[in-house]
Amino acid sequence: MSALLSMQAVRGGYGDADILQGVSITVASREIVVIVGPNGAGKSTAMKAVFGLLNVRGGKILFDGDDITGWVPNRIVKRGICYVPQVDNVFREMTVHENFEMGAFLRKGELGAAYDRVYALFPDLKAKRKALAGDLSGGQRQMVAMGRALMLDPKLLLLDEPTAGLSPKYMEQIFTITRDVRDSGVSIMLVEQHAKQALAFCDRGYVLATGANRHEGSGAALLADREVAQMFLGG
Amino acid sequence: MTLIDFINFHIVPGVVLGSIYAVGAIGITMVFGILRFAHLAHGDLATMGAFVALSAIGLFGVSPWIALPIAMIVCAAIAIGLDKTFYDYLRDRPKILTVMASLGVALMLRSLVQVIWGVDSTTYQRGIVRPDDYFGILLRDRELYTLLAVAAIVIGLETFLRKSKWGKAMRAMSDNPDLARLSGVDNRHVTMLTWAIVGALCAAAGFLLGLNNELNSMMGWHLLLPMFAAAILGGVGRVEGALLGGLIVGIAEELSVLILPGQYKAATAFVILLLILLVRPRGLLNGKVL
Amino acid sequence: MELIGLANYAIFMGILIGIYALLALGLNIQWGLTGLFNAGIAGFFAVGAYTSAILTSPHVVGRVGGFDLPIVVGWAGAIVFAGLIAWPIGKVCLRFRSDYLAIATIGVAEIIRLVIKSEDWLTGSSRGITAIPRPFGELDYVASQLAYLGLVIAAVAVVYFLVERQLKSPWGRMMRAIRDNEAAAAAMGKRIEARRLQAFMFGAAVMGLAGALFVHFNRSITPEAIDPMIATFLIWIMLILGGSGNNRGAILGAIVIWVVWSVSEMLTDRLPTDVALQAKYIRIFVVGLTLQLVLRFRPEGILPEERTRRTAR
Repeated sequence: MSALLSMQAVRGGYGDADILQGVSITVASREIVVIVGPNGAGKSTAMKAVFGLLNVRGGKILFDGDDITGWVPNRIVKRGICYVPQVDNVFREMTVHENFEMGAFLRKGELGAAYDRVYALFPDLKAKRKALAGDLSGGQRQMVAMGRALMLDPKLLLLDEPTAGLSPKYMEQIFTITRDVRDSGVSIMLVEQHAKQALAFCDRGYVLATGANRHEGSGAALLADREVAQMFLGG
Repeated sequence: MTLIDFINFHIVPGVVLGSIYAVGAIGITMVFGILRFAHLAHGDLATMGAFVALSAIGLFGVSPWIALPIAMIVCAAIAIGLDKTFYDYLRDRPKILTVMASLGVALMLRSLVQVIWGVDSTTYQRGIVRPDDYFGILLRDRELYTLLAVAAIVIGLETFLRKSKWGKAMRAMSDNPDLARLSGVDNRHVTMLTWAIVGALCAAAGFLLGLNNELNSMMGWHLLLPMFAAAILGGVGRVEGALLGGLIVGIAEELSVLILPGQYKAATAFVILLLILLVRPRGLLNGKVL
Repeated sequence: MELIGLANYAIFMGILIGIYALLALGLNIQWGLTGLFNAGIAGFFAVGAYTSAILTSPHVVGRVGGFDLPIVVGWAGAIVFAGLIAWPIGKVCLRFRSDYLAIATIGVAEIIRLVIKSEDWLTGSSRGITAIPRPFGELDYVASQLAYLGLVIAAVAVVYFLVERQLKSPWGRMMRAIRDNEAAAAAMGKRIEARRLQAFMFGAAVMGLAGALFVHFNRSITPEAIDPMIATFLIWIMLILGGSGNNRGAILGAIVIWVVWSVSEMLTDRLPTDVALQAKYIRIFVVGLTLQLVLRFRPEGILPEERTRRTAR
């Protein structure tokens, strides 16, 4: 089965300097892929490249049969990739439900099922439907952010450090929900600082360092790898 | 002075004036919130609206209250035109340049009014109007209609913003423009819609002011400071804040004659502006700080 | 005879251009150097004018005055007082983006205008203040005009020299780097706030001086002397057209705009009265339009800002 997403030797950066030195990552359908690595490794940068937020100067990005290298984010959203940034990822002055409505802004037709699906994934939020997103806790806001992205019915979800600053309880919840999302048919690419926990729950992982691939393999394999452990899994 | 006299001499005019300020302030706060700059041509756009209504009455012989929707539509179109001609190309440059352009537009609008309609004062209707007695509170017809008109405008706008798809898109753009873009909200559509609403609000503010006072070419410019003070007092970007701020500024202005000589009414808005910037820049209802 | 009339007119224009150049230089300190949007220039001008007038004019019944102080004291008072008025406005508004300063300066100019018109005991309200002494006033007409022109040119030169020195200093380079980069400005915090306040007050003081120079040239002042918004706007156009951030640009802009403004006034005055009135407002419309055109097609102005090696946009 060909990959849903295929980054092939991607090179690029924000300004003139290249942060990514030829990164290759694949994501299959119904798969959770995690990108870990030390600070400055280019993890978030690699994700932004997929979403069209980077100057890509070399290599290719293929998605679901299209070459999306150089596409603008709006077009990529319509093609089926959704990006949840680390911060500023909700409409703070709008209610939870309105956030989901904004997620579905481009969609036409009967959306009742879509809302049901998202509320099924985030049952806590159903009770808080009318609360303002800005008034929620960090973990709940993160869920609103994910829910908003899911309302676009993406094939691939990009999550940039979804557990940053969250308590272990919420971290666990986010990982569980991510698995539920995968089971519902969406692939996920995650960038994570909490490498150990992330590798434990993902299907496959990539370790990046200084803008290039270092290791890859299944989550379990990477966890067991001594070199990877040495790099930064000590804690 | 008895309580009822106090209400009739100070509170009632204050509320009427304040509601006019509120209509203008709502437009200002929307431009602040969605387009993120101080629209200095707001007052003179209101002047234009007032005079367009005057012409509508003269040309078509309709009552002032039919002229109002006509003026609102015309000003909505003017506002969109102003944006496309004078503000749009500055979009990617520092916002202060758009502020500068709007100052120029203010001058242009005012001089147009002066060329077309002259500098003399005029009114929509002539003659003295006696107030009616509503359980002791004295209200003239036009004052009652002003309050009703403002209430209708505010309720209509709030409903639009809260319930309609494009209203939510506008709120989303005010809240988080990048995320709104990622959600597929077209910046240009929201901008045009915002200007249309702002133009209509300006026309209403100008018309109501002209109805309750008189029309002259400087009327809108004199509205500018109170409208901005009201918007900032209420909290930039918040429609309810602009309503609250407008009422407070209006009532404060009317009450100011108790401690200041009459000519200094205009200073009240200025003092309120400085105070709120000093003490609570986010405003009463926690808006943005630019 | 024609030639002498023309020469006299040229000297007269030169004096006014000099005063406007001073105002443009003051604005350049605030906007060109520091990025502050002062929409109340006329207010600071008026404060300087009236301060000097009150301090130096003879006694009049019902009005504060009769100090009969030397002209130099009047001018010093104008400079100081205009700068002082800028202080509270700056203190409150400079923490925020320039939009708020724009509105506050519009407000302060309005208040100043109100005070001038209402406080009879201070300003003579609509009668104004007259019999203001004029330096070199005892000389015959031409000599006196020439002497005043020299005075104005000297004032412009001094301010120009002072500001140029500041611009080239490390402080000046830092201010311009900060002006263009709000993030850097935010990072620098309080220190920058103090410097911006100083620049704001300095610019205001220069505008006050311009007011004083005007009032002693005119020998009298009334509230109607200049329509506040037109004057303020003309100075903005002068600076933007001439080249903001550039002192020579400010002076050039003053020359170009004032000449065009005066000549157009002369031309439209010759028209029949009712058309002449319309023409006045059409001229104002054109001024507003000119700003839009300059902003669109030549935002850097005729004389772009000089780039030092390290400053980048």
